[in-house]
Amino acid sequence: MIRIEDLSVAFEDTEAVKHVSLELIDGEVLGVVGESGSGKSVTALTLMGLVADSAQITSGRVLFDDVVLREAGKPCDKALYRKYQGARMSMVFQEPMTSLNPTQRVGKQVEEMLRLHTDLRGEEMKRKVLEAFRSVGLREVEKVYSCYPHQLSGGMRQRVMIAMAVILHPRLIVADEPTTALDVTIQNQIIGLLREINQKQNNAMLFITHDLNLARRLCNRIAVMKDGEVVELGETEDIFQNPGEAYTKRLIEAVPSRMKRRRNIAAVRGMGEPAGSGLAGKLPTGRESEAEAGAGQERCAELERCTGQERCAELERCTGQERCAELERCTGQDGRNPILQVRNLSVYYRDGNNSLFSRREKQCVVSGADFELYSGESLGLVGESGCGKTSLSKAILGINKEVEGEITHTTLRPQMIFQDPYSSLNPSKTIGWLLMEPLRARAALDKAYAMTREDMEAAAYDMLHKVGMEDKYFHRKPSQLSGGQRQRVSIGQALITRPGMIVADEPVSALDVTIQAQIMELMQKLQQEMHLSYLFISHDINVVYQMCDRIMVMKEGRIIECGETEAIFHNPREKYTKLLLGNS
Amino acid sequence: MKYFMKKLITLIMTLFLVSVAAFLAFQIIPGDVVTSILGTEATPEREEQLREELGLNKPPVERYLNWVTDVLQGDLGESYRFSRNMNEMMPVAELIGDKLPVTLWLAAVSLALIIVIAIPLGVLWARSSSHFLDAVLGVVTQASMAVPSFFLGILVTYLFGILLKFFAPGSYVSYQEDFAGFLKYLLFPALSIAIPKIAMTARFLRNSMLTEMQADYVRTAYSKGCTRQRVMYGHVLRNAMMPVVTFLGMIIAEIVAGSIVIEQVFGLPGIGRLLISSISTRDFPVVEILILYITFVVIFVYFLVDILYRVIDPRISEK
Repeated sequence: MIRIEDLSVAFEDTEAVKHVSLELIDGEVLGVVGESGSGKSVTALTLMGLVADSAQITSGRVLFDDVVLREAGKPCDKALYRKYQGARMSMVFQEPMTSLNPTQRVGKQVEEMLRLHTDLRGEEMKRKVLEAFRSVGLREVEKVYSCYPHQLSGGMRQRVMIAMAVILHPRLIVADEPTTALDVTIQNQIIGLLREINQKQNNAMLFITHDLNLARRLCNRIAVMKDGEVVELGETEDIFQNPGEAYTKRLIEAVPSRMKRRRNIAAVRGMGEPAGSGLAGKLPTGRESEAEAGAGQERCAELERCTGQERCAELERCTGQERCAELERCTGQDGRNPILQVRNLSVYYRDGNNSLFSRREKQCVVSGADFELYSGESLGLVGESGCGKTSLSKAILGINKEVEGEITHTTLRPQMIFQDPYSSLNPSKTIGWLLMEPLRARAALDKAYAMTREDMEAAAYDMLHKVGMEDKYFHRKPSQLSGGQRQRVSIGQALITRPGMIVADEPVSALDVTIQAQIMELMQKLQQEMHLSYLFISHDINVVYQMCDRIMVMKEGRIIECGETEAIFHNPREKYTKLLLGNS
Repeated sequence: MKYFMKKLITLIMTLFLVSVAAFLAFQIIPGDVVTSILGTEATPEREEQLREELGLNKPPVERYLNWVTDVLQGDLGESYRFSRNMNEMMPVAELIGDKLPVTLWLAAVSLALIIVIAIPLGVLWARSSSHFLDAVLGVVTQASMAVPSFFLGILVTYLFGILLKFFAPGSYVSYQEDFAGFLKYLLFPALSIAIPKIAMTARFLRNSMLTEMQADYVRTAYSKGCTRQRVMYGHVLRNAMMPVVTFLGMIIAEIVAGSIVIEQVFGLPGIGRLLISSISTRDFPVVEILILYITFVVIFVYFLVDILYRVIDPRISEK
């Protein structure tokens, strides 16, 4: 049995973990759920003896059976820990690319486990590694053995990581967001694999995630963490059905899910609240949470029941009339007015070798794309990474010029909202400067758009309010903002030139669930206010479901299915679409 | 194979462009080789005659083409300045062939010193958790990087030559005469070249290793139960060498091209000194060949670095 008793961990003056007590018995999967900064990773790293030396244990202890591994006030006994690390407790990390040594063959890296903890040598070690590779579902194990990490796909790398973690049959496996960096279909396989290993080896597993849906599928018990404390701990289904804490409730509700359709969010949202001012009242309550809570194992059946009738009717009521009318009002036309038309578009990618003599090879990444985006609608584009989503959006924006086919849009220069709000804003500029930059750029291209400094500032302040932020942020820099606030600034940047069309490339996937919900609300609010059309790219089918009127499914550079959101969700035509839907 | 062909073509084109540039530069810079040989007192007839002899009265394009054809046939031309005896001028090939080994050996000894001292020092520095060692190495490397090379040369001469009497300053023996003695003498100029580079390389390696220690795979290695030592040597060192190799490549290119100041201070008859004197006397054939040599060396060293990269990092060869 592994016990964490009253553990507190502090970095300098800030306490990252406060009086956490957790217990794991063999064969049990305990989920630790919380947003980033909630202390879940620090807890796991302390348990594993991997927390930075600067961290201080201010109270409590870590017990493995009856051995005290770590105690308050005492320094980490690394020699003792080394006997446990790998052999009796092992860890699977989030990022399979960077978590493996890039310059060492993966076989050797797994072998190191055996070299450190067993007497096996040479061929015996290799045989054991190959066996472990097979047991985690890798094929052509000989070949994988001598590959470097970059030669493997993300899913394969994670399998290698898992093989490394389980090769010595440890009593405890700590999995820190093991699927977050992976595509949905791969995610599902990895979860299945972890469950299988857990059943076969009967090890205790600490599963850390921010994704409640994921935790629900794998864990026996769940601990919800917030600001370094465990706020709720209990059996998985108990937590989902009767969340005791308001925070847990909010977490459950914020998870994008097919139980909630976008119009409902639109109905309850509290407009214009500044970022970070609390969530209460902004999120869907009442019926949605009931539906969510009632969604037990027979979710699918219920889904059909719930959405098939009630929802459709509601949708019709909501969108069919009101919205068309609104559209008509706005455009003065019939409402089915394509703002963007893409005809038989193929996008190419030139192999990046910039040498003087190498012949550049053209690779087709998108072929024969054919669709239109109507004024005022949200069109979702889903697919796995590498399917050509981003290449397509770049072609539409005119960033990628290697295209064949036709792109016509009736709007001004379309703008983009990027995925990572941490790296997509210039860290040395103020928010005000960043917001005015698109105006300056436009003026530089076309003198007709030249504006005075006062006008630009006024526009920037106005935009700041529109995205729900206060005046004081005008003079701040991106590093002083939270992720959600940064993404609000990104949205502001995209909207300040008043384009009719926005390409949003995974705008919420780098954010925590509750922030995700806020940003999606904001985007929907702005869509109505400013009459925007979104091309919304995501790998998260649930997010797309919540945001979009129509969905396009992309696979290997082709659009394989396109239709109304409800239609796609309830009657997917393609096998691949079914696979995508089934996995989330 | 395709890769080698590409590199070879790049090399040839670069050499061609550099030779044209060097040729043009000599057309533009003021000064006349004839005046510099004969002095200002010579009669116009004698000047004209010498111009004829050296082929300087032909148009530049023709001169360039003649020169290139000769070089391609292995004839590097003759020096304007140095004579073998009363009647013959010194061929450039002979002139450089005499001095090149000195520079190359100097470079080789310096490089060996750099690698043998800097890499263990850098690793040790990165490993040390002692603040004292950290501070001492910080100050020492800072100081040795800041000292100008001529002064370092003087210091080395004074310390090893005059105080410790490890070698006799000014007692250079040529490699044809006494190879062991030649190498022994070279050790000290090589040390003067190497000291600042050792400081830079060690510092660089240390920083690179400390950055690399933050990487995710290091945490993975610890989670397996690796000791700090094992993590450092088994995982971090190879990854941390990547930027260091680039840096070493720059250093090699620099010292193989001739360390002018150090050759001067220690009285070594190397390429660096030849280059300086040839430029000041407008000895065009010598300068042109030296420039081509340096260009070649720099490109060749980068080519080697490129290959070394591929050996160290498997990710590169596949792109």
